[in-house]
Amino acid sequence: MRPVLAIARNTIREALRERVALIAVVFGLAMVLASQVLAPLALGEGKKIVTDFGLAGSSLLATLLAITLGTSLLYKEVERRTIYSVMAKPVRRTEFLVGKFLGLWSTGAALLVVTTLMVLAVLTVAYRDTPWVLAGSLALTLVEIGIVTSFVVFYSSFTTPGLAAFFTLTSIVAGHFAEDLLYFGTHGGTSAFGAATTVAYWVLPHLSVFNARGLVVHGVPVPPERLLFAAAYGLLYMGALLAAASAIFERREFR
Amino acid sequence: MSGTRDRLRGLAPFALAACLWCAASVVDAARGQSPSARTEELLYYPSGLWVRQAALGYETAAADLGWLRCIQYYGEHRMTDNRFDRIGHVTEVVSELDPLFLQPYVFGGFVLGQEMGRPVEGLALLRRGLERNPESWELAFETGFLYFVCFRDHAAAARYFALAGRLPGHPEYVDRFAAFAFQRAGEREMAILLWKRVLATGNKYMQDVARREIRRLGGDTA
Repeated sequence: MRPVLAIARNTIREALRERVALIAVVFGLAMVLASQVLAPLALGEGKKIVTDFGLAGSSLLATLLAITLGTSLLYKEVERRTIYSVMAKPVRRTEFLVGKFLGLWSTGAALLVVTTLMVLAVLTVAYRDTPWVLAGSLALTLVEIGIVTSFVVFYSSFTTPGLAAFFTLTSIVAGHFAEDLLYFGTHGGTSAFGAATTVAYWVLPHLSVFNARGLVVHGVPVPPERLLFAAAYGLLYMGALLAAASAIFERREFR
Repeated sequence: MSGTRDRLRGLAPFALAACLWCAASVVDAARGQSPSARTEELLYYPSGLWVRQAALGYETAAADLGWLRCIQYYGEHRMTDNRFDRIGHVTEVVSELDPLFLQPYVFGGFVLGQEMGRPVEGLALLRRGLERNPESWELAFETGFLYFVCFRDHAAAARYFALAGRLPGHPEYVDRFAAFAFQRAGEREMAILLWKRVLATGNKYMQDVARREIRRLGGDTA
């Protein structure tokens, strides 16, 4: 476990060197600006708009951070050959991957938490209300970012940063269309197509499970059973992807 | 020579910004002069279901953009021709994206019913809102309001005011409206019952009015 944590810490340090904190500062300024500019135009719905844009922005930023940072970090290790010095130590490749994953997830999660706190701060100051129900949405988005990060690590284990980013984005988009895919496959297509879409439906991540923004913005709390289910599903999915990534990475040859 | 090149390089961002500003001004001017601009506005707005899929999990933020566009559309036409032909479609898109967002139903229903003389469409929008938000006293109240002012159907208005009065979070005036509506509709007993609910509230002035109205209707305030 110690090597995993050491690699995770190192990954966070590398991410901080990329000036991730700057994103949070820009986000905070954008939030304050949005609350001042957009809210008066919304005919009394300013609080909802600030909350919506705040939650969507923080989730989008954390997702993009996981993709851009994750795809380049693993590649850089191989390109700069720093991976050789790591592999020369008593560290298994699986530990290396899990450490990278944990470091990336922690960075994305930290950004998500900081930006959500900024949303809460803006709402508290501008509207004299602190909607703690946002915590439910934050918890679900944290798991979603974990899934995105595990996709990044999985694709980075065998391909280039550009392709890994493209495949990750495609997986996220496909994850939002999983149910439609199943519907089309089972309504009117051939039986082989139906079977293929059913397999795709079960393999793709069901990202709608992690989206409770539509509830919390209206003050509806996320039910605890949904949080538990999402956490269990998310951890299983991440575990499966990391296992697959590890199997590929173990066989990979570095030149 | 290299000094001149450096100076030119330093000016490049400003030159680029000036070009972009000019281009934007030309596009803006052309948009205003186009004869089809008015009829085409918002025609590109796709269906709510389509936008919901395309929003990729950010439906509520997309709904807010739609809401801002809706207000902008209303404001523009309010100052010019007072025609709001696309308002029903835009509010429908917004409500499809965020079914719990009440303002599009309320605003859409009001504009369609009161300002465009299309109360049936306004009522349909409010009813869709009530189906999706059966616990919303605001939507029940607005439906009653539309029945009262547009259809002059006091009995239906009273039914919806009473429904709003039974839903959680409603303010005290809802009960008063219900009572008045029932009186107009001739349903005296129901009006007395609703006024008695006002008696149970903590507002002294409202309680005074309620006692007076109950006495006037021949009821018992005890």
